[in-house]
Amino acid sequence: MTSAPEEHLRLEGIGVSFGAVNVIPALDLSVRKGEMVAFLGPSGCGKTTTLRIIAGLNKPSRGRIMVGGRDITRLPIHDRDMGMVFQSYALFPHMNVTRNVAFGLQMRNIPSRDAESRAAQALDMVQLGHLAHRKPKELSGGQQQRVALARALVIEPSILLLDEPLSNLDAKLRDEMRVQIRALQQQSGITAVFVTHDQVEALSMCDRVVVMRGGRVEQFGTPTEVYERPATAFVANFVGRTNRLKGAITAEGTLTAAGHQLRSATTLPPGAVEILVRPHRIRIDDAAETANRVKGAVSGITFIGDLVQYAVRVGDAEVVVEEATRRDRSALAVGDTVTLGWSAEDTLVYPAGEQ
Amino acid sequence: MMEIHKTSWPMRILVFLLFVYLLAPVILVFPLSFSGDQVLRFPPSFWSTRWYSALFANSQMLQAFWTSLSLAAIVTALSIVIAVPAAWVMTRLTFAGRDLLFNLFTAPLLLPTIVLGLAILIVFASFGLLATMHGLVFAHLVVTLPYALRVLAVSLSTQDRACEEAARTLGAKPLTVFFRVTVPMLTPGIVAAAALCFLVSFDEVVITLFLTGPRISTLPVELYNYVYNQADPLVAAASALLILLTLAVIMIVERAMGLGKAFVK
Repeated sequence: MTSAPEEHLRLEGIGVSFGAVNVIPALDLSVRKGEMVAFLGPSGCGKTTTLRIIAGLNKPSRGRIMVGGRDITRLPIHDRDMGMVFQSYALFPHMNVTRNVAFGLQMRNIPSRDAESRAAQALDMVQLGHLAHRKPKELSGGQQQRVALARALVIEPSILLLDEPLSNLDAKLRDEMRVQIRALQQQSGITAVFVTHDQVEALSMCDRVVVMRGGRVEQFGTPTEVYERPATAFVANFVGRTNRLKGAITAEGTLTAAGHQLRSATTLPPGAVEILVRPHRIRIDDAAETANRVKGAVSGITFIGDLVQYAVRVGDAEVVVEEATRRDRSALAVGDTVTLGWSAEDTLVYPAGEQ
Repeated sequence: MMEIHKTSWPMRILVFLLFVYLLAPVILVFPLSFSGDQVLRFPPSFWSTRWYSALFANSQMLQAFWTSLSLAAIVTALSIVIAVPAAWVMTRLTFAGRDLLFNLFTAPLLLPTIVLGLAILIVFASFGLLATMHGLVFAHLVVTLPYALRVLAVSLSTQDRACEEAARTLGAKPLTVFFRVTVPMLTPGIVAAAALCFLVSFDEVVITLFLTGPRISTLPVELYNYVYNQADPLVAAASALLILLTLAVIMIVERAMGLGKAFVK
């Protein structure tokens, strides 16, 4: 349908060291034009540092940053043309909403009348036109975040950088803002980098996800790839919930765990392995033939509303199974013996001791 | 109603007595200043405003008052102009010896002022700065700058750095960020530091004593000299006016932003 989108942002061997400590050894990354990419990882994985390096707020110890084919590694922050949204919103408290949004335009020497009308448009875009004359402290957290977004977008930056923009909002507002940020990004066709530790944000908002750990990229792929085919046990654990079982592959190539023989789509050399199965991919007492079938005893039931979690003891391991609540499900009780079934594709196998 | 006030009676009495102890001398100045007596005596035998008239007729006192006022204004302005960039350097840049430098700059706060006064006397004598306005300005800066630097450094270090960073990413050059974002955000700290510098300079006696003479003198030094020679209620009248001036400064700060915001943070 379309030719491959051109590359817009490229990190080449970006590294950060503090003395002898390599915080980020060497990072290579390529982001396409118009794409929204999430940097996902636990705190201290280097995702925010990398974002700040792109903005120029942190200096890399080595490596190059290319934007649109131009090397911007040595460019000062104010010449980089990036729009950044901060976790703390970082609105200027002494300016009203309009002047906050118009600030970047003023810095570009745009006449104040033009700047104000463009700021007003940007505020309409985030549905805050009616609050143009308020001071930031008179706005709610969600409103402040939308002003920050308008301020970053109004300058039509070459890249939109978002540093955990939703972390300070409550759950319901976060859902709304997720949809709104994604819609704005797609409307404007802007290239965006989104830093988050929340896998739901990364998977639901972004075209591609970079899963980071200890300053390294564990996996870079689409949300589906990262979720369905995690490159490492760390990715599988961090993105979505999983059951972790200790197992082994015998010399003949059979996979065993918790006293059962299992089948997986992945093949690994013999040795100790870690087996990961997502809780909602396991079926309880299902008639359908599945590659893996194990017997266990229900040891706990947690009702969450739209989900029920069953803890099932299988051999020496405990397996968590999640099921959408149904009215027709015959009630299970603690102590019941059940059969668990799941496919070979859902059995993710990684060499043991990887993390 | 009694449920709301949990403070016990003995505690309330104690707090009341402490307040009386602290404020009694200040409050006593007001009735004393309206005394009609020839000497300081409490209670006054009759009331009069004669000592206020005497104060405003005393050209030496008035001269000293204007000297003090202009000195405090100049010292305050200079302190802010010097301390804002200095505090910025101390809180925003990292360099070897920064903490040492900061401690060195704020050390005069800890030194006995009498030692400072003697040191300044010796140095200034050789430069011919004794009993001159700029000599007094230099000397007062030694005392006020540490205050200004501390207050402003605290304000700057509690400021959200992300605001400055946001301004940079939006295309503002470092100097523009400083004047359009950092300084406006620092306004409460600047007002607090200015009020503090003004009051410290206006009130400074120990160091000033070494540097004043017949040619130039400040109000506190003049008052000291006056009391040394004669103890009449004129000083009470002057003190009453000084208390009102101090209150005025504090009220301006309070009006501008609220005391809590300016001093506590």
